Amino acid sequence: MNAKKTLATTTKIILWLLVIVFFWWALSNHMFSKIVEQPAQFISLLETHLKLVSISAGIAILTSIPLGILITRPKFRKFEWLIVNTANLGQTIPSLAILALAMGFLGIGIKAAIVALYIYSLLPILQNTIAGLDSVNPATKDAAKGMGLTSTQILFRVELPSAAYSILAGVRTAVVLNIGTAALAYLIGGGGLGVWIFTGIQLFDNSFLISGAVPVTLLAVIVDLLFRGLQLLLVPKGLRLARKAAIDSV
Amino acid sequence: MIEFQNVSKVYQGDVKAIDDINMTVNDGEFVILLGPSGCGKTTLLRMVNVLESITEGDIRVQGKSSKELNPIELRRNIGYVIQSNGLFPNMTIEDNTMIVPDLLGWDRKKKRNRFNYLMDLVGLNPDDYRKRFPHELSGGQQQRIGVIRAMASDPPVMLMDEPFGALDPIIRHRIQDEFLAIQQEVKKTILFVSHDIDEAIRMGDRIALIREGKIMQYDTPTEILTHPKNEFVSEFVGQDRVLKSMSLYSVQDLVDAFNLESSKQEVADTKMIHSDTSLRVAISMLLNQEADQIVIVDQQDNQLGSLTLNLIEKFLHREVKGKER
Amino acid sequence: MFTISQLFNYIQSDLGNIITYTIEHAQLVGLAILIAIIIGVPLGIYLTTNEELAETILQIASIFITIPSIALFGIMIPILSNIGQGIGFLPALIALVLYSQLPIIRNTYTAINNVDPNIRDAAKGIGMTNFQRLIKVEIPIGMPLIMAGVRTATVLNIGIGAIAAFIGSGGLGVLINSGISRGNTNMVMTGAIFVSILALIADFLLKWIQKKATPKGIQ
Repeated sequence: MNAKKTLATTTKIILWLLVIVFFWWALSNHMFSKIVEQPAQFISLLETHLKLVSISAGIAILTSIPLGILITRPKFRKFEWLIVNTANLGQTIPSLAILALAMGFLGIGIKAAIVALYIYSLLPILQNTIAGLDSVNPATKDAAKGMGLTSTQILFRVELPSAAYSILAGVRTAVVLNIGTAALAYLIGGGGLGVWIFTGIQLFDNSFLISGAVPVTLLAVIVDLLFRGLQLLLVPKGLRLARKAAIDSV
Repeated sequence: MIEFQNVSKVYQGDVKAIDDINMTVNDGEFVILLGPSGCGKTTLLRMVNVLESITEGDIRVQGKSSKELNPIELRRNIGYVIQSNGLFPNMTIEDNTMIVPDLLGWDRKKKRNRFNYLMDLVGLNPDDYRKRFPHELSGGQQQRIGVIRAMASDPPVMLMDEPFGALDPIIRHRIQDEFLAIQQEVKKTILFVSHDIDEAIRMGDRIALIREGKIMQYDTPTEILTHPKNEFVSEFVGQDRVLKSMSLYSVQDLVDAFNLESSKQEVADTKMIHSDTSLRVAISMLLNQEADQIVIVDQQDNQLGSLTLNLIEKFLHREVKGKER
Repeated sequence: MFTISQLFNYIQSDLGNIITYTIEHAQLVGLAILIAIIIGVPLGIYLTTNEELAETILQIASIFITIPSIALFGIMIPILSNIGQGIGFLPALIALVLYSQLPIIRNTYTAINNVDPNIRDAAKGIGMTNFQRLIKVEIPIGMPLIMAGVRTATVLNIGIGAIAAFIGSGGLGVLINSGISRGNTNMVMTGAIFVSILALIADFLLKWIQKKATPKGIQ
C-alpha cells in the first residue's frame, strides 16, 4: 500500500523536476529573450491570439448551445441523429485541414481564420449540449411535466441545470482546442503567437520557438484549469453529488 | 372527485389500451388501480392529468372536464407522485418540494411555513433537510419528499404511480402506514396505482381491479376478498384470501361481534393485545407465543376478554365465509 | 481562388506524389499508434492495481493533452536539438506517441476497472489465476472501450501528423505547407482533403474493427 503511494508521489516529483529543469535550462540559455526584447510585439501577438479565440469561441457558444437545445425539442428530435452524426464526423477532420479549407474558400486573413476556428469550436459544444440534455432522467422530466411545469420551465429549471456539467465540458474542450488551433492561424495570415513559433521553425531560432510555444502552452493549460474551476463553481452541488453517486455505483 | 365517463384509449391502429372505463372516485376517497403489469392502470392514471391523451370519453376532475382546461393549469391542481420519485437533482429538498408553490407565486414566508408543515407531517426535521440535495437522502426519505412535493400546493386530488414500489419491504410498510395516517388528516381524493394486492388491501378504500384495459371489479377490499366477481379476480386475489382479509379486521371488530364485556380485573401475567391490532397480527401472536389465549385490552388498559384461536375461527366463519354464501 | 476542375487537374498531375505523402503519413501514424499501444495498454492495466498512481498519471496525461501540438513541437525542437534530432521524423513520432497516451491509457484503465465485479468474482471462484482472468475475461470484455481509445488516438494523430510536416516529418502536411509557401491553393486544398479523407477512413475502419473485436455476447 505504502509502496504504491510512494510510486505515485515519486512520479509527481519527477514530473515537476522536469518542468523546473526545462524552465531553468530555457532561461539560462536566454530562450525567452524575445519576450524580454520585444514586449510590445509579444503583447500584440498575444492580443491577436486572444481575439481570434474569444471571437470564434464566443460565437460558437452562442450558436451551438441554442442549436443543441432546439434539436432536442420533440419537434426537431427526428433530425437529432443527423446532427449528432455530422458532429461526430466533423470532429474527425483535422484542425489544419479546416484552416486550409477555409483558406481555399475565403482566402488569406484574419476573417478566414476566425471562420475556421468557429467551425472547429462549434462541434464539441453542440455534441456535449445534446448529450447533456439527452442524459436528463426521463422520470425527472415526467414528474416535472406531471406537476404542471411548462416546457420552458422544464428547460430552464431542470434540463439546463442538469446538462450544465456536460455543456461546460464541451465549452472547455472547444476553447482549449481553439487556443492550439489559433496558433496555426499564422499559416493563413491570421497572426497570433503562432507567428513566433513558425518563425522559429523557419529560422531554427530557439528563442523564437520558446517565446512563442511556452506562452501558448501556458495559455491552454491555464484556460483548461480555469474552466475546470468554473465547472465546480457553476454546476449545482446536487448534480455533482448525483454524478459522484453514479460513478461510485459503477 | 374524479369521474371517468366511457373512457377509452386506442393506440395507432387498433390496440385498445383502455376500454370503455366508467368509474367515480369520490371526494376524500382512496382508490387503488390494481392489476398485472401492462393492464393499462398506469395509462389510465396518466390520462387524468393529460400526460396521456384520451381517445374517447371524458375524465372530469372536481367537476371540470380535462378538455376544457389548459393542461398546465390542470396539472398544477393535481398532485403527482411516481415510483422513481423524479426529484430534481439540481435543487435542494426545499426547492424541490416548493416548486409548484413557487410557480404559483407564493411568497417566501408562506412557502417556508408550508415546507415546515409538510416535513413535520412525514417526520423529517425541516431544518436538517432544507439545504440538502436528493442524492444525500436514502430511498425512503426521497420517496417521502416525492409525496410531500405532490402535496405542496394542497391539491384536492392526488395521482400516485406505484410510489412505494421501489422501496424494500420494511421501509415500504412503514411509509404506507405513515401515508395512511397523513391521509386520515388531509382527506385527499387519491388515485393510486399498484400491482401489489397486499398494498391495495392495506391502503385502499376501494380497489379497481383492471385487466387488459377493462375494470374487472370495483369494490371495497372486503368485497373483493369475499365476493370475487369472476375467475380472474379470485385468481389475482389468491388462494390465501381468507388470510389476507384478516388484515382488514381489528381485534375490536371481534370484540364488537361477540359483545365481549369490558371489566376491570387485575392483569395476570399473560400476554396482552391492544384492541386496535389487526387480526392478522393477533393470529401470528397466538401462534408465536404458543399461548392458548391473549388478554385483549383497550386504550385505557381495561381488559375486554381473552382472545383464542378458536374465537378467531368462529369470527371468520361469521364474517368472511358467511358472506360468501 | 480555386475551382473544382483545377483541383482535379492538380490531383491528376501530381497523383504520384500525393500517394507517396499519404503512405508516409499512414506509416508515421501507424508506427506511433503501435508504440503507443505497447506502452499504453499494459500501463493502463497496471494502473488498475494502483489507484494512487492512476490518478496521478491520468491527471498528468489530461494536462499534457491540452498542450497545443504546434507548441509542443516548438518546445521539443530546442530540447531534441541537443541530440541533433530537432526536426524530422523522430520528434514527430515522439509527439504522436505522447498524444496517444491519454486516450489509450484512460480507456484501458476504465475498461478493466468497469468489468462487473460479479464476473470478476466468478472468474476467481472457478480458480483462474490473475493472469488468466486478465487474458480470458477482463481484456475481452474491455476490448470495445480499449479499441475506442485506439481509434480516438489514431484520428487525433492523423491531424497532428499533418502539422508535423512543418518540422519536416513528411506526410500530407507537406502539401499544405508547400502549397501555402508557393501560394498554390489547389495544393493546399488537396492536402486538406486527403488528410480529412485519411482521418475519416481510419475512423470508419477502426469502428469496424472495434465492432469485430467485441465479443458476440456483449454486442
